[in-house]
Amino acid sequence: METLAPSKGFKLKLAGMPDTSVIRLTRPATVGVSAQDIPHIRPKLLVKEKEAVKTGTPLFCDKRDPAIQYLSPGTGTVKQICFGARRRLLEVVIALDSMDDFVEFGPVTSADLVQLPDQELIDRLKQGGVWQSLRQLPARDTADSGTAPPLIIVCLNGNDLFSPHPGQVLENNIPQFEFGLAVLKRFCDRIIVAARTSSMEQLNPVRHLITHQVSDTYPAWNPGAILYHIKEKPEENTAWYIHVQDLLHLARFLKTGRYPVETMVTVTRGDDKKPHMIARRGAPIPLLAGNFPAGSLITTGRFNGRKVDPDTHLGFFETTLNILPDTPEDEMFGFLRPGLNKPTVSRAFLSCLIDREVQLDGTLHGEERACINCSYCEDICPVDLMPSFIMKALHGDDIEEALELGLLDCCRCGLCSFTCPSKIELTRILSQGMDTHHKDKQG
Amino acid sequence: MNPIKKIFDLLEYDFSDAGKFAKLGPLFDATKTFFFLPSPKTRLGPFIRDHLDLKRYMSVVLLSLMPVLFFGMYNTGYQSGLARGESLDFWSAFLSGAWVVMPIIIVSYGVGFFWEILFAAIRRHPISEGFLVTGMLFPLTLPPTIPLWQVALGISFGVVIGKEIFGGTGRNILNPALTARAFVFFSYPVTMSGNVWVAGATGVDGITGATALAVTADGGTSLTATLADQGFTLPHLFFGLVPGSIGETSALCCLIGAAILMITRIGNYRIILGGIAGLILTALLAWLLPGTYGTWADAGPIYHLCAGGFLFGISFMATDPVSAPGTNPGRWIFGFLIGFLTVILRVANPAFAEGVMLAILFMNVFAPLLDHLVMKHRISKRIPNV
Repeated sequence: METLAPSKGFKLKLAGMPDTSVIRLTRPATVGVSAQDIPHIRPKLLVKEKEAVKTGTPLFCDKRDPAIQYLSPGTGTVKQICFGARRRLLEVVIALDSMDDFVEFGPVTSADLVQLPDQELIDRLKQGGVWQSLRQLPARDTADSGTAPPLIIVCLNGNDLFSPHPGQVLENNIPQFEFGLAVLKRFCDRIIVAARTSSMEQLNPVRHLITHQVSDTYPAWNPGAILYHIKEKPEENTAWYIHVQDLLHLARFLKTGRYPVETMVTVTRGDDKKPHMIARRGAPIPLLAGNFPAGSLITTGRFNGRKVDPDTHLGFFETTLNILPDTPEDEMFGFLRPGLNKPTVSRAFLSCLIDREVQLDGTLHGEERACINCSYCEDICPVDLMPSFIMKALHGDDIEEALELGLLDCCRCGLCSFTCPSKIELTRILSQGMDTHHKDKQG
Repeated sequence: MNPIKKIFDLLEYDFSDAGKFAKLGPLFDATKTFFFLPSPKTRLGPFIRDHLDLKRYMSVVLLSLMPVLFFGMYNTGYQSGLARGESLDFWSAFLSGAWVVMPIIIVSYGVGFFWEILFAAIRRHPISEGFLVTGMLFPLTLPPTIPLWQVALGISFGVVIGKEIFGGTGRNILNPALTARAFVFFSYPVTMSGNVWVAGATGVDGITGATALAVTADGGTSLTATLADQGFTLPHLFFGLVPGSIGETSALCCLIGAAILMITRIGNYRIILGGIAGLILTALLAWLLPGTYGTWADAGPIYHLCAGGFLFGISFMATDPVSAPGTNPGRWIFGFLIGFLTVILRVANPAFAEGVMLAILFMNVFAPLLDHLVMKHRISKRIPNV
């Protein structure tokens, strides 16, 4: 096992780590399939409102490759199809019946897997709504089944600091995990399985399968950051990655021939220790979040998730909800205070002298200003970018220079925006630059 | 509810786009956010943000300037008392110094903020905090005898030509405070050199008002002996009880400020340490040169470090992140060359007794080139991803 310990990243201790106990949530009244957390998708609806659907009925597909389908995680009727601005699909909501009626795809055993031709396996995964859990770097688009990947990264830890613990996720699921890895081996010989140091203790049963142990500093376990630190040649830039829960879904789908409907979710709040929850995929946010103070901000990853409305549903790839507290009022002479209770990665407040768990709310703590070239973004970037210089290149429409400076290595961890004293939305600017480039390349 | 908050809420409408003082909106915002630190909700990810903002950033720089400011006030009063043959106690020296220094600071801030507000109102952008530092740095680089109208003219040039015509804070090429000083230095040499360094000393005979750097030894005596003769002993230079610009005389206070900047990481230690290293190495080289006996080439690194404004410049002027390079190797080179150029100017160019201002401005111009070279090197080390 190799160890990856990048020196840069987010080094504050955050409060709100979930408890390692596991509970099973009750069956929700509705489930939703959100299109909002699926990068680059151009959804095409396959159902209408009031239509009856089974568990596993396709709800929408990706126009760019209609074979890639997003399936219903429950049986019932389509209650509502929600659109956002410019008729962008937000989510398809399904009112659940009391019993599940599955679309049967037919199981695949380990012995079958060896016999199954490549194309048939790919088609089956696409049909089963699980192919899209394989993502391709650097754009994080759905993996291109037409080309073989240079390597596949299996991420045991999720996007947030407090995403479900792989020890909990893999408990009782080790055969599926091994089966999943066997499926990945069909696409590529080089499989990287990476876990955080702090997760290792509970991962003893699968220790022999883990190839890389990464440090506990966010975002060391992010697939983009892992790739940056292990890659040796440009061909490896198009690596695929998959998160452990998605790999388990993929394995479960093949083994049972049914669309898997359960997933493990964590809900984190600064002053609370909630257990890990096993919930229906696309469960409603209120069911997961429970009671929380009004005005709180709910996100699916405090650094790189999205903001969710309390009356919507959890997205396709999402496994975490962060409930961030609201700040009551603008603080009088806030910038002159010693700042014992103001967590910072800089050393400009006295809080940096105290080593304790901190809470951060969902506010900017200042106003946007011009870049002053302070290099705080560079000092924290886990993939050694100079975000301020890339931002300036992108503002000058010089995509060539931005690419030369390594724009596509950006792992979208959000730390540059987090640390910027001028409150510039660096992550947004860099992500948009990458997405525009990806779109242009697709033509 | 806070009574001050109430006042702001009452006035809010008049200064909004629809109100009668819409043009002065940026002034209202700046005042309001000075009292109440704004913290709007994050709209885009990441949803949590660090507490450090530009207001805090610039406040830390101001904090680091407090030792040199207060010592400068004391020293101004002390030197002036010394010139008149009075021996003042601490408080009367401090107060009489403050009486001279405060008007200079007030004019600098007042006139500078006028320009800031004017540009912000015309361009409809918020007033940046950068001027808080510029408005304090500029007076500290001036002799206490400077006429106030020259202060006003200087800061106007620094803010308008040095910063605003490039687009304001964050977009300037040169350090605005040094631009302002350079303007006054070249436009009004009479008030910026010669016997101008002691306030209230006009008409008093027998006073050498020159700074240590203007001293040269004649025939036979060493420079350090001549310096000591004129009151510039090494302890005096280090603690700062010598005539000079308001803020620059005390090496100790500059070092305290530099330490605050480096510990809080608001000033980049690479620039400060690189600069000190450059100065020491170059001064050593100059010291080893033959035939320089009695000139500043013969002074050695310690005297070069403590005399003049080098420590002030490298700690507070060169660390301005906007006009310094944005890459770490660039910062080392930038600092080192400032130290190098400072000694070269002091030693080789008799027209300018003090070289640090020109050294920093010169290196400001080269900062983008340093960045460019460093980035080319870094790009060549990356595995391309295109």
